[in-house]
Amino acid sequence: MHRSHYRLVLGVLVAVTSLIVAGAAGGASKKSTSGSMTFGAEQEPPCLNGFTSGCNNTWTSWTAGIALASPLIVKPDFSIKPYMGTAKLVSKKPFTVLVTLNKKAKWSDGKQVSAEDLIFTWKTIVDPKFDISSRSGFDSIARAVKVNARAVKFIYSKPYAPYKVQWATSILPQHALEGLDFNTVWDSNYNNKAGQTMSSGPFKLQSYTKGQSLVMVRNSTFWGKKPTLDKITFLFRTNTDTEIQAIRGGEVDAIYPQPQLQLAQLRGQSGLRVQTHAGTTIEHIDINTGAGNSTPLLGQAWFRQAIAYSLDRSGMIKQLFSTLNPGLPTLNNLSYTTGQKGLYVPHFAKYQISNKAKRIAKVAAIMKAHNCTKGGDGIYTCGGEKASVRLGTTSGNKLRELAVEIMQAQAKDAGIEFRADSQPSRLFFPRIAGNKYDLALFAWVGSGDPAGQVDIYGCADQKTADNPQGIGGNNWKNYCNPTVTNALKASDAALDPKTRIKLVNKADAKLAADVPTIPLYQKPTYFVFKTSLKGLVDNPTLQGPTWNTEAWKAG
Amino acid sequence: MVTYIVRRFLYSIPVLFAASVLIFFSVTVAGDPLATLKQNPLASKQTIHNIEKRNHLNDPITTQYAYWLKEAVTNKFGSPLLQPGTKIWDDLKRVIPHTLQLVVLAEVLALLVGISIGVYSAIRQYSIFDYAATTFSFLGFAMPVFWLALMLQILFTNIFIKWHVRIFYTSGLSSQNPGGGIHFWIDRLQHLAIPAMTLMLLSIAQYSRFMRASMLEVVNSDYVRTARAKGLPERKVTLKHALRNALIPVVTVSALNFGALIGGAVITESIFQLDGMGPYFLGALFNQDAYVVMAWLMVTATAVVAFNLIADVLYGYIDPRIRYD
Repeated sequence: MHRSHYRLVLGVLVAVTSLIVAGAAGGASKKSTSGSMTFGAEQEPPCLNGFTSGCNNTWTSWTAGIALASPLIVKPDFSIKPYMGTAKLVSKKPFTVLVTLNKKAKWSDGKQVSAEDLIFTWKTIVDPKFDISSRSGFDSIARAVKVNARAVKFIYSKPYAPYKVQWATSILPQHALEGLDFNTVWDSNYNNKAGQTMSSGPFKLQSYTKGQSLVMVRNSTFWGKKPTLDKITFLFRTNTDTEIQAIRGGEVDAIYPQPQLQLAQLRGQSGLRVQTHAGTTIEHIDINTGAGNSTPLLGQAWFRQAIAYSLDRSGMIKQLFSTLNPGLPTLNNLSYTTGQKGLYVPHFAKYQISNKAKRIAKVAAIMKAHNCTKGGDGIYTCGGEKASVRLGTTSGNKLRELAVEIMQAQAKDAGIEFRADSQPSRLFFPRIAGNKYDLALFAWVGSGDPAGQVDIYGCADQKTADNPQGIGGNNWKNYCNPTVTNALKASDAALDPKTRIKLVNKADAKLAADVPTIPLYQKPTYFVFKTSLKGLVDNPTLQGPTWNTEAWKAG
Repeated sequence: MVTYIVRRFLYSIPVLFAASVLIFFSVTVAGDPLATLKQNPLASKQTIHNIEKRNHLNDPITTQYAYWLKEAVTNKFGSPLLQPGTKIWDDLKRVIPHTLQLVVLAEVLALLVGISIGVYSAIRQYSIFDYAATTFSFLGFAMPVFWLALMLQILFTNIFIKWHVRIFYTSGLSSQNPGGGIHFWIDRLQHLAIPAMTLMLLSIAQYSRFMRASMLEVVNSDYVRTARAKGLPERKVTLKHALRNALIPVVTVSALNFGALIGGAVITESIFQLDGMGPYFLGALFNQDAYVVMAWLMVTATAVVAFNLIADVLYGYIDPRIRYD
């Protein structure tokens, strides 16, 4: 071999050895004993100003958003508790909420979190020139009265029952943002005008490398329990397989992935802990009861009930989640989730018949009562209309596609045909909003509070002065029942919690009888982290996995 | 040569203009970019109105195209639909170099290995090596990129779990604190190694087949026979006379590959979470951000045009008989 060849081989060997040595060193430095941890974030915030529609994303608030504390916080059990302050109803007429901030609450630049900040937050959110993603609740505030340096009375133009959810919103620093274009600020940092990063939470933003990572470091001015960790690095790992390999191989210390079948392999791995809960994403089937559907049968409540009876939802859930979350419950209420004890009444449970023969017999009884006859293909025909409907979902979503297949088989056994009608979400959702569907499987992301249900189930044609679009703006089911509409409307204005629960459940009972929607399950959350980390507790509400970062400890 | 390049450059202007028309109209008719926002029951109607107005979304499609073209030319593609504080060009400037790092590394290595295998296979036609290389290249063609990527990820993860040695990282571009200088580049190589291997495999299979076929044609030609008859050593005949002429098809294929890969090795980059053109494109699709998708497509179209030009120029360098009029 020529001498130059030896040199080449030697060079390659040296390079490989250095990679291994450097790699071994790199691996060692990742251990979470240094007071820091890495979190594999499944999505990257589009930008950091989570108030605006372009940046509003759960991962924006779960990553950088932990720098911006809110007066109230939603706990894992869906209860809403004081955090950086309190929000109390002090008068029903006019509807007045007193928001008081914690005495110690400070911004990271040393300034007090003040009454002015509360008022500035409200004014910013309702300013029509800004692209605010949601103005719910804030747009009901008529005026604000400063009580003292830390407290403001907000007087509403009409009662707003979910005011506690409203005040689980982050507070903005007036001194840092006043006079700036809120649509374009805080795109990639939370800086004040002097370039200092702003935080009222346990951590503050140190750096954001787009497409790669976001680093939060301890906020020494935090008013609450001092955080133990020095640093949390969020690495963006948006591919589930990659995310799983990253936590297996120790490249990240925690992940919060969407439910995927691949997660099963993590359950048995030593050194990892998996927490799972039923979340607030409500998977359900909407039924188009009127114009735009392919058969008038869908306009009949008895036929929709027959569809509901034909499905073994619990069986389907078992098939979908047997390895990941065998205990995932069937959802039987459209407004409250299974974890909300004392609120959740399982009105739709009557449709759950697990025994196949009994299920088929129940559907047959309904069909017989309406003079339907079974054809040679095993599908009923009622008054000349075949019991054949389209069932669509967002194609590409494996769990939903599998759910459609299972339900197709179940319904067929009972004599109802579901014709597959799925499309990519960009085409599917405009069709739903345009009432061009029969049955649609998709999800609503809830907050645990039933506020706004009237927008989904209320009569769409009830236009009022303050609702020129009609109150049922997202009711694409052509469904209208004044009892439901009035009960949900009243619940949004009811201030007594017991009255509110009663009204919501009254509407839900009627919905269970009319079946414009069939609830399926709450998409489960999965929080996977190293057992060496302490204090991590899954919060299945929108508050998310990083709701208590100040309590996180590296073992 | 300069005249030729200038003329080709001028020709590419109407090509890119036609591409812009196709891109804009096909993306625009694909659906309402605000559909997801409109489905959110809590989304502010005022905000939706603001965005529609600012981006002329309710204007006729031709007017929308005029506004978009103006923004693309005068304001470097402007901002994403929902993020007026972000500049599309800043994002492109960030992701293109990352993609280039991966593509150059993978393609250069693939060219070196692929050409070597192709040449040797042609010289030793029907040898064991030739059969093995042929089998390998068919395997390379048949192997789905996403599967290979996942297998490599699992392999190197298992190596780490078993021996606690981090040879290569399975995702990302850099470690948290990669250090500077040589440490940074070693860390970057550790991150790019598996994705580069994934990309390389398919390219090696492709280049080796092209090179083998091309070499077989050339080694039996008259001028190679003449070179041998002159008494030139076999190595010189192969490398100087045969290889150079046989390179032309590979140059064409690799130039097209380079151009296409600049658009992002979408699957590879996404699986390995490399902040390149691929994930940028997928993110824009996921967010239904039509303006970002259009900008991405325009950059890709430009890259394809540019690399075609580069290929044409390289032909002249490799084969002096090719003249540019």
